[in-house]
Amino acid sequence: MRILIVEDDLEAAEVMDRGLTEAGHECVRAPDGEDGLAATRGGEFDVMIVDRMMPRMDGVTMVQTIRREGDQTPVLFLSALGEITDRVDGLKAGGDDYLVKPYAFAELIARVEALSRRRETGSVQTLLRVGELEMDLIGRAVHRQGKEIDLQPREFQLLEFMMRHAGQSVTRTMLLEKVWEYHFDPQTNVIDVHISRLRSKIDKGFDKPMLQTVRGAGYRLDP
Amino acid sequence: MRLPRLFRTTPFRLTLLFLALFAAAASAFLAYIYLATAGEATRRTDEDIGREMRALQAAYERGGANVLNQSLIERAASERPFLYLLMTKDGKRISGSIEESPVEEFTGAPARASFSVTDIDVNGRERKHPARGFQEQLRDGEILFVGADISEDQAYVLKIVRALWGAGALVIVLGLLGGLLVSRNVSRSMAGLADVVTAVRNGDLEARAQVRGTRDEFDELAEGLNEMLDRLERSMAGHRHAGDAIAHDLRSPLTRLRARLETAYLDVEAGKGNAEEALAQALEDTDGVLKTFGAVLSIARLQAAGQAPDQNVFDPAELGGDMAELYEPVCEDKGLDFAAEFAVDLQVRGNREFLAQALANILDNAVKYTPSGGAIMLRVRRRSSGEVEYSVTDTGPGVPDGDRERVVERFVRLENSRSEPGSGLGLSLVAAVAEAHGGRLELAEGPGKVGEMGPGLRVALILPRAA
Repeated sequence: MRILIVEDDLEAAEVMDRGLTEAGHECVRAPDGEDGLAATRGGEFDVMIVDRMMPRMDGVTMVQTIRREGDQTPVLFLSALGEITDRVDGLKAGGDDYLVKPYAFAELIARVEALSRRRETGSVQTLLRVGELEMDLIGRAVHRQGKEIDLQPREFQLLEFMMRHAGQSVTRTMLLEKVWEYHFDPQTNVIDVHISRLRSKIDKGFDKPMLQTVRGAGYRLDP
Repeated sequence: MRLPRLFRTTPFRLTLLFLALFAAAASAFLAYIYLATAGEATRRTDEDIGREMRALQAAYERGGANVLNQSLIERAASERPFLYLLMTKDGKRISGSIEESPVEEFTGAPARASFSVTDIDVNGRERKHPARGFQEQLRDGEILFVGADISEDQAYVLKIVRALWGAGALVIVLGLLGGLLVSRNVSRSMAGLADVVTAVRNGDLEARAQVRGTRDEFDELAEGLNEMLDRLERSMAGHRHAGDAIAHDLRSPLTRLRARLETAYLDVEAGKGNAEEALAQALEDTDGVLKTFGAVLSIARLQAAGQAPDQNVFDPAELGGDMAELYEPVCEDKGLDFAAEFAVDLQVRGNREFLAQALANILDNAVKYTPSGGAIMLRVRRRSSGEVEYSVTDTGPGVPDGDRERVVERFVRLENSRSEPGSGLGLSLVAAVAEAHGGRLELAEGPGKVGEMGPGLRVALILPRAA
């Protein structure tokens, strides 16, 4: 994946660059919005990571500009502003996701990869398939090896999200945000409990476990 | 040149403005009085002169010029206040009390004239008196003039006018003095308030305006100012306290973190020890510090804003349902009974995210402190007051009566809870969220003691009824 990193904190950009490169991606760096804008005009990117507050041109202005020019590349905003209003502002400006600083690197990679996947699935799907697992989105039914798995509505949504991001790490915060649509910070392992319930339904009685725990990051659904 | 302060004050300027308006009105009034009284005096004199003229003409009708002449001489010698002149048709004086007619270019038609007569007063000084009179031609051509000295009438009018002027001047002087007095009073009150503002601007947050107890708008302003300063001072104290508390609470995990990293570094340098474990622990410590920091920041922002941002009207049961769905499996995992009960058709106004965070904190606490085999109940109901209440009741050890207020404070953790992980900020954030919605947090005893269990805790987040 080609990733554009627009961040004025050069050390943070360097760390991001290294981590993403190690994860197999190709990164281009820009120190502010104006250079970022120039970079988007110079080449195609799969995802852009844009800091909100930068000298010369801030992230919101930059993203608004590229959106006006018709560039639909997914954007992940990074910001030290973590209030809900700040998040809403960022998403309104054309951002696709919003990550508050400081963040865990695993969270950043998970969100970047989730964004790139989003672009590929532009058309409406009615059937999701990951390995032995099959999800009928219209009939609201899930089968593994042809055997029907009975899921609660929320478990169904949780599995749907995991299947759409199969092979990628997804973090607990991402799940709370995307499946439950809440942005708070639970002290207890709320999400873990739900995942373990889902896991017992889709993995119990089968040879190969599909729902993996990724240490320090979250979970991953493997085919 | 700058005017003295008093003359620059608004009340003084207003006084001047009102005095100017008053003076203009008084002048118009005086002019009217003058015209009315002077006109009246002239009319009366004209009537008197006319009557005299008619009486003389009657004498002329009776006996011609001779009788008229005689009557005229008699009248002129009497005390009557008139001036007479009888002339031939060529204008030659025949008799009378004045030497020549004040009417110039007499055409034969009745004419009137204003003139002055000279008189010698008791001190021998010449005095001119204003006078007016009529002139008519008689049947056989003789010319008769009758006039009157109007100085007395005019003196009367002048007296009135002078009295009015005096009254006007008195009013202006009194008004000016009164205005000065009022201005000084008002300016003093304003200066008192301005002094407080200056003191506060210079950093003295304890300065307060004096409330005189007169219940006027200055008292209201002073009270408002004092109240504002009280709030500001409390908020500043809160921030200072929060700052101290943050420093205190972040210092210990940061110290731990530093020590761990240092040890790991030394160990790795010496070629022994497990750097990986130390790093993992350091990461965990960092997350703890960040969580504490985030919570303190949220509380501080809510308190600073006074009101939660982005409030919407929504059904509280919906949020309750989401939270129940999130926490029910957590309870089950820990061997706790979980039940939820939601009243229908309620509405609250609030920020869904902040309220969710608050409920999550309350539920986190309940799950953390209730031993397995216990029970947790989440309930949404309408109070008789119309307020909406979210409550979480558990069968844990509860919080002793005397500690209930304290546990809401920042970083306060009770003795028996120190073994559990937690920042001591959970309930503070709930309280801050409640306040930012115009609501409150209430802690009470739970269902009571049952065997080893209890007495439990009931935490209620109460929100005002949606307008």
